[in-house]
Amino acid sequence: MKMFLETLKMCKAEIVKVVKEAEGIKSLLLETSIEKPIPGQFVMVWVPGFEEIPISPSMYERNVLRLTVATVGETTRKIHSLKPGERLFIRGPYGRGFNLDEKGNFLLIAGGYGAAPIIYALHELRKKGKNVAYIIGARSKDKLLFVSEARKFNAEVYIATDDGSLGFKGSAVEVAEKLIAKYDNVLACGPERMLYKIMLKCLELGVKCQISIERYIKCGIGICGSCVLDPKGLRVCSDGPVFYAEELANTEFGKYYTYPPGIKKPIE
Amino acid sequence: MVNLKVSISKLKLKTPILLASGVLGSSYSTINRVIRETRIGAIVTKSFTWEPRVGYNTPIVAYTKAGIVNAVGLTNPGYRALKEILGNIVKNDVPIVVSIAASTSKEYAEIASFAEENGADAVELNLSCPHVKGHGLEIGQDPEYVGKIVHEVRSVLKIPVIVKLGLTDRIVDSALKAEKAGADAVSAINSIRSVVIDVYARKPILSNIYGGLSGPAIHPIAVRVVFDLYKNIEIPIIGIGGVTDWVDAVEFFLAGASAVAIASVIAIKGLKVIDEIIKGIEEYMDKEGFQKISELVGLAHGN
Ligand SMILES: Cc1cc2nc3c(=O)[nH]c(=O)nc-3n(C[C@H](O)[C@H](O)[C@H](O)COP(=O)(O)OP(=O)(O)OC[C@H]3O[C@@H](n4cnc5c(N)ncnc54)[C@H](O)[C@@H]3O)c2cc1C
Ligand SMILES: Cc1cc2nc3c(=O)[nH]c(=O)nc-3n(C[C@H](O)[C@H](O)[C@H](O)COP(=O)(O)O)c2cc1C
Ligand code: FES
Repeated sequence: MKMFLETLKMCKAEIVKVVKEAEGIKSLLLETSIEKPIPGQFVMVWVPGFEEIPISPSMYERNVLRLTVATVGETTRKIHSLKPGERLFIRGPYGRGFNLDEKGNFLLIAGGYGAAPIIYALHELRKKGKNVAYIIGARSKDKLLFVSEARKFNAEVYIATDDGSLGFKGSAVEVAEKLIAKYDNVLACGPERMLYKIMLKCLELGVKCQISIERYIKCGIGICGSCVLDPKGLRVCSDGPVFYAEELANTEFGKYYTYPPGIKKPIE
Repeated sequence: MVNLKVSISKLKLKTPILLASGVLGSSYSTINRVIRETRIGAIVTKSFTWEPRVGYNTPIVAYTKAGIVNAVGLTNPGYRALKEILGNIVKNDVPIVVSIAASTSKEYAEIASFAEENGADAVELNLSCPHVKGHGLEIGQDPEYVGKIVHEVRSVLKIPVIVKLGLTDRIVDSALKAEKAGADAVSAINSIRSVVIDVYARKPILSNIYGGLSGPAIHPIAVRVVFDLYKNIEIPIIGIGGVTDWVDAVEFFLAGASAVAIASVIAIKGLKVIDEIIKGIEEYMDKEGFQKISELVGLAHGN
């Protein structure tokens, strides 16, 4: 009881370093006392005067948490304007992360800022001595994330760019579809359209597949109903955000996105 | 053999635990899930308003040492969505109580009729939202107005009308007026108007500044309210506030509640807490020699 309420507590987090990762994407290294997240879990990040938003950490080492944030709207733009020495406020970690104890080798597939939880999972899998490959997709080579970091951790790296400026010309899914059968596990995070195709492929081939998905997260603790996946009634913030492919099958995932207060928007 | 069935007016509950309004009750899929996965006695939906409400910007929840302060802001798709929501619920003998937060007695009556037409088993009039202007506590603390709303809703409805009251100095008066106007039961209490300030941000955490405190911190206050209501009204009382285990629930029965509703504890302990509480009540009754919940109700008032 006490333990849970403690995770609701806002923790101040001081920015120690800001790194530009790619066009429109920055990492913030934060000193904070929150407990170590499991890769795939998320934290709620509050910038006073702005909103509180969910972000999946991209690294954690001894009280230093790394958040990798893409500019999308007001709050993420404000986060990009912050400098070392300034503060953010964080609560969490919340939700169900990736299960890294599954047997065998792992194929990690990332699109866009979905690379954040994936690179963190890669760190932890390598520390466990697991065999890991990393597929990263982006529009062009200046938007690719964590390529050298993945190599540093001795993962096999596959690159896909839409414009062919580096690696395979095409999408991460196209690269993934040829590789999935060789792996025991797939971990994926990125645009929903891409994740949906990966889910279908893994279900077809019977490969264990864990996907981190997004819905509109407001409370983060399973009580407001804003992040629910119909028709199974799964709460992305507390039953997820990581789900096995079987759990996502036959839900709205990949088809439409329910925004509060119940507005359905198709996934383009 | 312990019998956990209770009746609240015409509602028949297989267990005395209800899901309180606001948690997991805004979409059919979460309601079905609670029915499927637990022994819940009845479900009260999220409060529905006339127009859809997106709710407040985040942060909508904040920490306190013994509870949660929330300002969700009555997020709901508007009462017309009840047709589809109620149509998709698989009840399995679990009564569905539609909660309503309106701003006039006419709106309350219209939404209530719509809910009844579409299969609601009862309505709960939320007269106690602590953080949405014109949709709550202002109404509940005016006993005359409470009487007027209940009268208007009662006169157009066949299904039971439950009135949800919040902590005000006049809660007993409001409950008496509601009873006189034909209410079938009273729920008490709602969360309590609060503010949480972060000492490093030096600002209120909630975007709405004000929120409602729920969880363990409010339990003794809620027990006091139920205790006072039991002394003054005849209609059944649904005790709400800070229940985290079976002991808190039994305490409510002894104070005078015929059933108990829970909300925040779901965030704290997950859905499984519903069955844990029910099992705890069952074991307590078995060991202490009670056969029916009604034997416990109001027992703390004896001399
Ligand atoms: C579990 C999870 C993990 C995430 N991890 C990361 C990450 O590591 N890095 C990263 O850059 N982004 C991440 N996001 C997305 C990030 O939360 C949104 O980009 C951010 O909330 C946008 O806020 P804004 O104020 O800048 O934009 P706004 O202008 O407010 O919104 C723009 C769009 O962002 C999305 N969005 C806004 N608020 C929320 C919210 N509360 N919950 C979910 N989506 C929202 C909506 O699609 C909205 O249309 C994650 C989202 C989820 C659900
Ligand atoms: C997130 C949240 C949303 C709520 N929304 C509503 C609501 O829409 N209508 C209502 O009558 N009560 C609402 N409540 C109040 C609860 O029904 C309940 O009265 C209160 O939380 C006290 O119970 P608890 O301590 O078990 O949480 C809400 C409570 C919470 C925590
Ligand atoms: S964000 Fe509130 S229930 Fe998931």
